[in-house]
Amino acid sequence: MTELRPLSPAEAAQGLRRAGEAARGFLGTDPVTQNDALLVRELVRREAQVYAAGGALVGCVPNRAQPRQAYVSSTSAGPEPVRALLGHLTTYQRRTSFVALVPEAGAAAFAGAGFARTGVLPGYRYAGHAFHDVLVLVKEEPCRS
Amino acid sequence: MTLRGYRGTDRDLLTGPWLAGELLGLPLPDWPALADPAEVPPPAGHDEELCVTDSAFVRYTEIDWVHRRARLELGVHTPLSEVDDILREAVEHGFTGLNLRRLYGWVTPVTRPATGALTAAGFRREAVVPAATWFDGAPAAREIWGTIRHD
Repeated sequence: MTELRPLSPAEAAQGLRRAGEAARGFLGTDPVTQNDALLVRELVRREAQVYAAGGALVGCVPNRAQPRQAYVSSTSAGPEPVRALLGHLTTYQRRTSFVALVPEAGAAAFAGAGFARTGVLPGYRYAGHAFHDVLVLVKEEPCRS
Repeated sequence: MTLRGYRGTDRDLLTGPWLAGELLGLPLPDWPALADPAEVPPPAGHDEELCVTDSAFVRYTEIDWVHRRARLELGVHTPLSEVDDILREAVEHGFTGLNLRRLYGWVTPVTRPATGALTAAGFRREAVVPAATWFDGAPAAREIWGTIRHD
């Protein structure tokens, strides 16, 4: 089981900066087009919770219209940190559904953690002089309380 | 019909009996008498734009100038007849006035929205997110509808 360590927004911004390309689009932020101060401000504005899990960063943003849902992101290529985050969110925050907006290349980590694809947002993000599609991945847990 | 910029005197237009954050906010028929109406705040910051007509507001929020996209929210006080015009103006202003490339928004199927008007304005259903909002005492699925400017 991967240990989760909560990070302050400033630490999270540094971690995203170190993660480089894998952190693009993490919870809607982008360390390539945003500097550290702006990353911190964006994370705070979204009420993001970011954790270090092994060598990767995982995080979630609550859905304000439905408190049992959270948007999750991960910088890892494997599913283990994502599983750890979902376990934490279901056990300690009683979240029951999770949404991830990830590019095609990052979908493997979430598919391995049980996410299913429910749609594609065409041309959602701009990187490297081109617009790219983003997948919508969803996982629902039964409510345990 | 033309969109004009929001002023403080248009404040009444921002409140109404529709689901918050909806792409096409039309008055819901069986709105509970004691429920607070949905309200959007006046624009603040660089990532919002608010336009009004005489009977509706058009709000561009979460504008991202790098990815050139914005989430669109409408609140229409009059019944359906003017919706097509307002939607067309809203898309037009988003694409040419704000120079965005993609507009998207939330559509909640349980409210039986007028999807014909959205399709006519160029929106397509792109994704479904289960349990994305709270409606009528239960979580309700929401769809993401979007349109892209091809140029």
